[in-house]
Amino acid sequence: MVTVPRQSISSPPAHADQPTALHARDLRKVFGGGDTGVDAVRGVSLDLTAGECIAIVGPSGCGKSTLLHLCGGMDRPTTGVVVVDGVDLATLDDDALTAVRRERIGFVFQFFNLLPSLTLSENIALPLLLAGVPAAEGAARALACARRVSIAHRLGHYPAQVSGGELQRAAVARAVIHRPALLIADEPTGNLDTDNGRRVLDTLRTLNRDTDVAVLLATHDQAVADRADRVISMRDGRLVDAAIPAAAGGAS
Amino acid sequence: MAGLTLGVAVVIAIRLANTGSVRGFETALDVVAGKTSLEIVGAGVGVPESQLAGLGWLAAYGRVSPVIDRRARIRVPAGREYAVQVLGVDVLRDQPFREYRLVRFAREGQNPRPHELLALLLDAASVVLTERFAVRHDIDVDTAVQLVIGDRVHDSVVRGLLLDEGPARVVDGQLVLLDVATAQLLFDRLGWVDRVEIQLFDAEGIDEAEAAIAERLPDGLRVQRPAQRGRQVEKMLAAFHFNLTALSYIALMVGLFLVYNTIAVSVISRRAEIGMLRALGATRRVVLRLFLGEAAALAVAGAALGLPVGWLLARVAVRLTTTTVNTLYITSAAAVPPLSAAELALACAVSLPLALAAAAVPALEGAGVPPVAAVRGADRVSSGVRPPRRAAVTAAILFAAAGWFSTRDAVGGLPLYGLAAALAVVAGGAALAPVLLALFRRAGRPALARWFKVEGLLAHANLSAAVTRLAVSVAALVVSLAMLAAIAIMIGSFRATVSHWVGQTLRADLFVAAASRAPAGPAATISTATEQRIAAHPAVAAVDQFRTVDLPYGSDGDLIILGAGDFEVLLAHGGLLFKHPADGHAAMARAVGTEMVVVSESFALKHKVAVDDLVELETPRGPRAFQVAAVYYDYSSDRGLVVMDRPTFERHYGAHRPVGLTVYLDADADPDAVREELLAGLGSGQQLLIRTNATLRSEVLRIFDATFAVTYALEAIAIFVAIMGVAATLLTLVLERRHELGLMRLIGASRRQIRRMVVIEATVLGVLSQALGLVVGVALSMILIYVINVQSFGWTIQFRLPFGFLARSTVLIAVAAALSGLYPARIAGAIAVEDRR
Repeated sequence: MVTVPRQSISSPPAHADQPTALHARDLRKVFGGGDTGVDAVRGVSLDLTAGECIAIVGPSGCGKSTLLHLCGGMDRPTTGVVVVDGVDLATLDDDALTAVRRERIGFVFQFFNLLPSLTLSENIALPLLLAGVPAAEGAARALACARRVSIAHRLGHYPAQVSGGELQRAAVARAVIHRPALLIADEPTGNLDTDNGRRVLDTLRTLNRDTDVAVLLATHDQAVADRADRVISMRDGRLVDAAIPAAAGGAS
Repeated sequence: MAGLTLGVAVVIAIRLANTGSVRGFETALDVVAGKTSLEIVGAGVGVPESQLAGLGWLAAYGRVSPVIDRRARIRVPAGREYAVQVLGVDVLRDQPFREYRLVRFAREGQNPRPHELLALLLDAASVVLTERFAVRHDIDVDTAVQLVIGDRVHDSVVRGLLLDEGPARVVDGQLVLLDVATAQLLFDRLGWVDRVEIQLFDAEGIDEAEAAIAERLPDGLRVQRPAQRGRQVEKMLAAFHFNLTALSYIALMVGLFLVYNTIAVSVISRRAEIGMLRALGATRRVVLRLFLGEAAALAVAGAALGLPVGWLLARVAVRLTTTTVNTLYITSAAAVPPLSAAELALACAVSLPLALAAAAVPALEGAGVPPVAAVRGADRVSSGVRPPRRAAVTAAILFAAAGWFSTRDAVGGLPLYGLAAALAVVAGGAALAPVLLALFRRAGRPALARWFKVEGLLAHANLSAAVTRLAVSVAALVVSLAMLAAIAIMIGSFRATVSHWVGQTLRADLFVAAASRAPAGPAATISTATEQRIAAHPAVAAVDQFRTVDLPYGSDGDLIILGAGDFEVLLAHGGLLFKHPADGHAAMARAVGTEMVVVSESFALKHKVAVDDLVELETPRGPRAFQVAAVYYDYSSDRGLVVMDRPTFERHYGAHRPVGLTVYLDADADPDAVREELLAGLGSGQQLLIRTNATLRSEVLRIFDATFAVTYALEAIAIFVAIMGVAATLLTLVLERRHELGLMRLIGASRRQIRRMVVIEATVLGVLSQALGLVVGVALSMILIYVINVQSFGWTIQFRLPFGFLARSTVLIAVAAALSGLYPARIAGAIAVEDRR
């Protein structure tokens, strides 16, 4: 693994010719106020180009999830800039921010976060349906996506009727059905056994390469991190170092 | 708590209103009865004066005083008219019975001596009013007033004012005191008194005296205690009040559903807290007690608030029911009695145990929260679905029970089994709520997704996931809506039946009644002069006179109405609607001038009398048996009518002035024009109410509608409470689903879409409940019509569906449900993406 100086983290070695999917500058997030305020993220800058996959690693409470929330438009930074797919999130009202999430960002979480009373097909198509795409077209695209993640045979099932691995692959399908520029994955394998975890990662990486979606994932798991193009360590709200895993061409 | 408050309030209100209307009458009775221990009454028409002389032996038991006790109207100088109770007494004899303290004498610090009172009343134009009434209407001694009695207007002068005490407090001071002779004259009672009052020398020996007097009384006279009249009124109103009470408990039931909801919300929102308590060592019992304690606190607060609210509601209800009670039964000054310990006890007795029972299910759920819930956070409350099959079987059993109950007879004149049947149907409907929701879950998605796109899809998904939680509040709404539908169907059917009956039986062109017609009790009469003038009008083809008297009937002394009319005129012009026999017309023709009567359906049902049976009626010459010639439909009174031909009536009861005339005109006459001419011909001293056929028909329906106004008011409350229940449940679901809603927001649902989704959910619940409510309502209405109504009132009602009303109410329920969804929708819309965690 090659360790590079901190200031070079935002200048990626690969994908340099690709458009920028995520551009984050000097992000700071303080929870609470006054003496009891907690600095969860302290001045993080980060760039992701299309087709790139970055893993953020670090201990519990280091600010990984908060950073992902800021980058995914789920939460607003106290200071700093987030630009997703060319759109500056700071300038948006709630509706416009919702639209950015719906159209340009996909999400995968540790707990599968599917709606229990929708079928997998409906769950996968939901971002499209919310955007006003007709149900038939939504179902067709859900089928196409489901094929890519190998769960087409489960489309008519409800979440309670399928396995954890299948659920997470459905969640991945939902996250990419609307062809987002950025995919946020928070511990995507954290709730899966090794085998299923590996399959989900395979799926993620395949989509990442085939569709050029930029993937920002947070994990505890070094094996997961090793599948990324770059690995960035985070401690106490700061990025401390970055590495290019051997699998992605880095030296050990 | 609002639901419980309303529930308790409605129950208390109806109770107060009911006791209010009876007690209003009883208070009047008590005060008027004064120190009277016993009274002698005649058979319906009073006590003939000729018999008084023969009653001299009564003096051995106590002081005896003949009384005329009637209703009339008084016209004050300002021109307005008020109903008054008129007491005609023999002042010289009556003073020991009632204390008359006149203002004039009281100021001089002494009671009037009998001869002074006598002087006041010797002149037929003298009246004594009460101080209370006088002050209110700016009347003083020597003010001229007019008494309106029957079709006559009688000029009078106020000769004295009674102090606001004793008899003067009767019916809020609306009392007029006359000399008995004057009263006889004014009320067409020459030769009769209404009763003879006795004040026993030995009040302790009342039982022996009553028995001894009863022994010696001639045929046709009875001795009774004054309270007997109160009991008769109470009995008369029992069925009406019983049904109102039953209705009021529905509001309470719906309130209990809300208690369930409140505790359920509480359990859900404090899951982590409970888990923490459990992790720290709190036993299940402690947690259970915690939530039951909360329910108990709610119940106590609900009862405490419900009492005063109930009292206020009672005032409104009394105003509404007084119309009914006064129209159909008695004239009384109903007043809401103050809250007593009995109401407090009732409020606690109904609210506390029921609230605890309602809270038990969610409290047990709370007690079952595992300690791990504290750390795991949002583990969903089990959304496991109870198999709808069990609910369906329960419903089937309840419906079967309802069918069986429907076949049972009334108990003591009250439709207890009928109500049990109604309750079983309602409970069966409630049990069907989970079945309905399960069906909706299985089949509703395509339709909702087609109509409402993604919001419809999500609404269906959300509702499907919460069938168990929703079943309770949907059941509550179904119950309320079923009641509404049933009552609407019953009232609609009843109205159509009455309307048809009115069309069939009201054949006369003009109906003449004394202007001061009292709804029950001794009716005001029409004078000979009026009758002759009407008969002499060139356009008049025939005139039928009718008389009515109240008569105690049967061993229980139920007050029935004995009517007399000209059967030949009725046969030629009128149209009674006969139930039995098939040719009622011919049967009635046989009754002309004979010892035969026709009886109303409610009389036949209540007293189990059929055609050719003998009914025994009291007459001034003792009991006489009359054969029933026919049974006819009648909806004018549930007390039961026995009608005999006029000559028959006069043979037994003597000649009395008619209380009304029905006038048949020549075919080419214009009723309105004739009415105008007849009214124009009246002297200034006369007042008459002449209704044309058309106005009487609309008047009948107006009274009908007023009668059921209170029913709708109660129902509206129940539905309001139930819809609030649905809103509360949706709120519960929203809170329970914070995580999912946050997730939806995350993947791109806008606040508007979330709000729309919740409003769709509310609307769907409203519409589903209404659909089931309509089905259950139809079943319930059949029980109301064919069982409860028949047992309470003895009327045949033709079943009819009021499609217009049901369609309108469906739209209204949908709109109301949608509106109720706005608040939970707002809460849901405000849930942020961060709540996903």
